[in-house]
Amino acid sequence: MSDHSGVGIKVLGVNHRTAPLDVRERFAHGAHEVPVALARVMAAGAEGGVLLSTCNRTEFYLVAEEEPAFETVWSLLGERLPATPASGVREYGYVVRDREAVRHLYRVSSGLDSIILGESQIQGQVREAWEISRAQAGPVLHRLFQTALHVGSRVRTETGLGMGTASAASAGVAVAGKIFGDLAGRSALILGAGDMAELAATCLSDEGVQVTLVANRTQERARAIAERLGGRAVSLEEAWAHFATTDIALCSTAAPHAVVTWERVGHIIAGRGGRPLCILDLAVPRDVDPAVAQLENVFLYDVDDLQTVAAQATARRRDEIPAAERIVEEETDLFWAWYGGLGVVPAIKELRSRMEALRTAELERAFRQLGTLSPEDRARVEQFSQALMNKFLHQPTVALKAAAEEGRGYGLLEALRRLFGMEPPA
Amino acid sequence: MIVTLHVIVLALYGLGTALALAPFLGLPSSPRALNIALPCAGAAAHVLAISQLTPVGLGPALSMLALCLVLLQLASERLLRGSAVALFTGPLATALVGVALLSGLTPGGGAGGVEAAGSRNAWFILHVALSVSGVALMALAFIAAALYLLQFRELKARRFGQVFQLFPPLERLDQLNRFALIVGFPTLTLGVLLALGYGARFSGGLHVAKAQIVWGMFTWVVLGWAVWVRVVRHWAGRRAAFASIAGFSAVLLVYVVLKLAQPGVERFL
Repeated sequence: MSDHSGVGIKVLGVNHRTAPLDVRERFAHGAHEVPVALARVMAAGAEGGVLLSTCNRTEFYLVAEEEPAFETVWSLLGERLPATPASGVREYGYVVRDREAVRHLYRVSSGLDSIILGESQIQGQVREAWEISRAQAGPVLHRLFQTALHVGSRVRTETGLGMGTASAASAGVAVAGKIFGDLAGRSALILGAGDMAELAATCLSDEGVQVTLVANRTQERARAIAERLGGRAVSLEEAWAHFATTDIALCSTAAPHAVVTWERVGHIIAGRGGRPLCILDLAVPRDVDPAVAQLENVFLYDVDDLQTVAAQATARRRDEIPAAERIVEEETDLFWAWYGGLGVVPAIKELRSRMEALRTAELERAFRQLGTLSPEDRARVEQFSQALMNKFLHQPTVALKAAAEEGRGYGLLEALRRLFGMEPPA
Repeated sequence: MIVTLHVIVLALYGLGTALALAPFLGLPSSPRALNIALPCAGAAAHVLAISQLTPVGLGPALSMLALCLVLLQLASERLLRGSAVALFTGPLATALVGVALLSGLTPGGGAGGVEAAGSRNAWFILHVALSVSGVALMALAFIAAALYLLQFRELKARRFGQVFQLFPPLERLDQLNRFALIVGFPTLTLGVLLALGYGARFSGGLHVAKAQIVWGMFTWVVLGWAVWVRVVRHWAGRRAAFASIAGFSAVLLVYVVLKLAQPGVERFL
């Protein structure tokens, strides 16, 4: 049973398993909020901190003693849920310590801990978190995050965990690819300007699809997406005519009923001359009247269809979990060995040399005070001082070495430096 | 030697077909390199066998058709990066080699023997090679059309099973169909023209049966019509796929009817 009170690597967080979306949304920190939050935790005694905040998780990675750093984190999170009592906030969270904390981050960066198994977006989010927190990360977390990115890359390269299309948006791209083959140069019309529409439009754009139009009830948001993807913002009414020419129509409005109806687009699509039209309806409730799919060359897919495609990819990815976990374990062992031995040997040497200098100085002083001593007596006193020093240093040396072997050397080393006034390594 | 080589070819094509069919039967997919290597090895042995054949009679004609199909399959695999074409060409080529072995690979007596004498002429060999290639390209257009219709049905019905996963995209199958028809027509035309030229130059050197003329012209007309509707009438997608299937089915049907009327293995018709 390890003692958790000392300095060590700790993770305190909430994620998609422990908190519902509305709570996770409250805990999410924007990039500008991260340094401020970390500064508060550092002020509470943490030696290093990185805050990883995505839509699925908010996790504080700390090198710290649990108290008072954890208290600060809980209160930081609690401030975001003012109506919830402190104990309620803690129920959403979890704490992972030491080796498990290292393994946890490696699993996160590999996509093993994601809602969509093996998704690659998390790799970029881990990198971003590390870069934003770099000034406050400290040497241990700096190395931990650096290696986490390496582990993520290894898992994606050496296993099939990232293969296939495991999200509804990327499944939409896959389905469109089965109709058109190469998507480069195809045109897309986007209806709606919400997050899902933007994500799916970005997926299409990444495949070379030209997002020509973004149609939305409110123009401002449509304009922002259109500008980013090189298209033009139009009103919904203006969009119907473009069903005659576009290759892909991506629908994700917040309308409570179907907006793409037979009456609106039936005659327009009929005039396409048999050219295929792929309609991806990502909205719930659906945006597209199913009757539209009766037109011969219309291929209509809703969220359920795309989730079926995504689920198939996920099933294939599941087979890759054991191989990915093996890499995570292997890399965790490597990090833990590095962390365990971090500075212990030089610290022991430095401690012994300091004690030796102290012993020599005190011995000289004692010899001066004692006056004339026979060489035998001088040798006996010197031997006594040596033995005494060895006895004093024996237990700390053994404890440090044992802690290093258990991977807890770093915390004890910090205590040693403070107690004996030793300078931390440059 | 010819028979032994054909038996080896039969085994390699058969194995290649089994590997291509495996994922559709729920078995694990084999590496792509192996899926290509087996028909490649089969085709190499097949070329060796055909170089020793006299291109007269049913057996040699079927064997040449099988080789053309496998070569087109390999070219399509490179183009489509999928083994779906092999689903059709694999069993078809294997069956054709099997039937060729059963019907005999050396020319018999009678008309076949007379033809064999004139068959060493380069014109004749070129005529046979081009004509068989034209028919093989027409068969490829038929296969692409069939794959298109199967994939179309799955996509419309929102079924995301093996066909969705393993078949090429619709657009690419449509392009393959168009390519096969457009290349197939001039190839067959040249083959027919060479036969006419050969007949005019070496009159009496070659027995041309009426059935051969009827089937050859019928195939040429059907292929020409399929190209015309694609290129001039701009048919594409499902309509073009149905046209290819109807055309090739008609060509096959006419062949079977003519063959039944004039059975025997000395001639392909």
